[in-house]
Amino acid sequence: MSIGIIANPASGKDIRRLVSCATTIDNNEKVNIVKRITKTVMSLGQDKIYFMPDTFDIGFMVIDALKADREDVSGLEVISMPVSGSLHDSVYAGEIMEQLGTGCIIVLGGDGTSRAVAKGIRKTPMLPISTGTNNVYPTLIEGTVAGMAASALTKMDNIEDCCIRDKRIEVYVNGALRDIALVDATVSLDSYIGAKAIWQAEKIKAIIATRCHPATIGFSAVPGALTIVKDTDDCGVMVEQSADGTGVMAAIAAGTLERMKLTEPEIIPVGGEKEMTFEETCMIALDGEREVKVKPGEKITFKIMRNGPYRVLTRKTIEKAQSMGLYLTD
Amino acid sequence: MADNKDMVKDLYLTMRRIREFETNAMNLFAEGKIPGFVHLYLGEEAVASGVCSNLREDDYITSTHRGHGHIIAKGGDLKFMMAELFGKATGYCKGKGGSMHIADGTRGIIGANGIVGAGQSISTGVGLQILLHKTDQVCVCFFGDGSTNQATFHESLNLAAVWNLPIVFVCENNGYGISNPQSRHQKIKDVADRAVAYGIPGVVCDGNDVFAVRETSAEAIKRAREGKGPTLVECKTYRQRGHFEGDPAIYKPKEEQEAWLKKDPLDKMSKWMTDEGGFSAAEVKAIDDQVKAEVAEAVKFAEDSPYPTPESGVEDVYSDIVEEVRDR
Repeated sequence: MSIGIIANPASGKDIRRLVSCATTIDNNEKVNIVKRITKTVMSLGQDKIYFMPDTFDIGFMVIDALKADREDVSGLEVISMPVSGSLHDSVYAGEIMEQLGTGCIIVLGGDGTSRAVAKGIRKTPMLPISTGTNNVYPTLIEGTVAGMAASALTKMDNIEDCCIRDKRIEVYVNGALRDIALVDATVSLDSYIGAKAIWQAEKIKAIIATRCHPATIGFSAVPGALTIVKDTDDCGVMVEQSADGTGVMAAIAAGTLERMKLTEPEIIPVGGEKEMTFEETCMIALDGEREVKVKPGEKITFKIMRNGPYRVLTRKTIEKAQSMGLYLTD
Repeated sequence: MADNKDMVKDLYLTMRRIREFETNAMNLFAEGKIPGFVHLYLGEEAVASGVCSNLREDDYITSTHRGHGHIIAKGGDLKFMMAELFGKATGYCKGKGGSMHIADGTRGIIGANGIVGAGQSISTGVGLQILLHKTDQVCVCFFGDGSTNQATFHESLNLAAVWNLPIVFVCENNGYGISNPQSRHQKIKDVADRAVAYGIPGVVCDGNDVFAVRETSAEAIKRAREGKGPTLVECKTYRQRGHFEGDPAIYKPKEEQEAWLKKDPLDKMSKWMTDEGGFSAAEVKAIDDQVKAEVAEAVKFAEDSPYPTPESGVEDVYSDIVEEVRDR
């Protein structure tokens, strides 16, 4: 069974490097990470790896580098698809890799990249690696370890206990599904997408999250200052900013703790929904990026569902692989 | 940032002014009315408009050989600009400089420049001057991706970082250095990646989205004004024309050109204004008409203006500045 790699060359370079102390990661390092994943997966006997084509040619650069190392690159393939240089590339690459029957897709990027891939896949497990900014969904793991987990997963008959089916927020405007978020949907008083990221706490009206914890970075950390909702809990949470609410401090961006006043957290069970309308034009930021514009009076509905992507539990997968003897040699 | 209608109108007005000026320059050059070289800013209007919308009148900009857009966005006078393109005595440089040497010291426009990468060194000098005079002014340095292989780029970023100068380096990455696509002269795609080597922030934004440019550059300018040092802002955009007028640009793939034309910054902005920004089609047309009249007036001014006299060729060769300095 094959493995797919989707690496977003645009992650980790936006305005958050100015408005917070966000991490900077250059694309040559992403090439390096993908190279480590690829070498690991090849060492474990995988015969087919698909790469998403992108504006930096990460996949081609990895293949060229491995060719120079005199490795057999016959099983490495950059999939054929048009490249727009936008988020749609990740959505489309996810769709194609699922059609190709890949056993696991490793995703390099931020929360936004994972969200994009999640829109393109239904059943293929995703292993998200953080190369973005304020990441909650992808985690900082070494490419070698990610490669080991992805490879192991493709050799297992039953992957259920190595993955979690994540929750997601479905965003409806006037009853029509407009988009999804994996971690948080934040309503902010903006009227255009602009630099995409949101960072001004005073503009925030409401935050809906599938999970929240005070030890995360981003707007899901805000309800996390009052309550904790885990990825395994069958619920989400909603808070609104209110002048007479409870004062909290939360890490909305790297190195940036903001004070906000919140209503009591409202728990929304999986399958449940929350409706809102606003008198002003608002933008809904999905996983930290302004995406959906809402006009005054339009009805917004946020549904918490457990129909998100299957996310690989890296350590658990590698532990199972070890117990299966996958790392024993002659 | 105030999300108000006046701000949106001003942004669009500036972009439309640049577009109209450049379209006229293109046609007038083809008609043989403009001598010398003309490098047009068509397709890149959102960058100059977005960045300069955050600047004060007493802030500075340095520009490039493709400088009309920067000068218009910083408040340059269309009549004097067009007259300069025509080589007329009423132009910014009395007709002696042409398209690539327009400057206006009264508006902080240090000047367009025919030497690729020269603006970077000049902006470093401007930044040092601001630092020594202890004002809170800022200098924005516009340049293209091709110039980021020049020594001036590296020297300037290094010095600006070391001296913590109030400069915002704005790279207009339009994909080409003359006829060379970026992939043929750089191993990187994001010029902003180079900022880390000088210990300053580097960010990338959509250079065809004026709101993205305005927001991103606002933060960089704020940093500079607050004494936090330089920033490298890379705006991804596209040069819709050839390197200069007369360049058939056969090196640009047709599909690439078509894809970028679909992302035209003016089309994007006018659509947003009528679909989402609360502007009527008539309001947008009124701005367009106003700009058409302004540029038509500038062209007429240029056409009606006299050429410099032969005697003026020896004027303004040396500045009185030397004597002024001696007097101190």
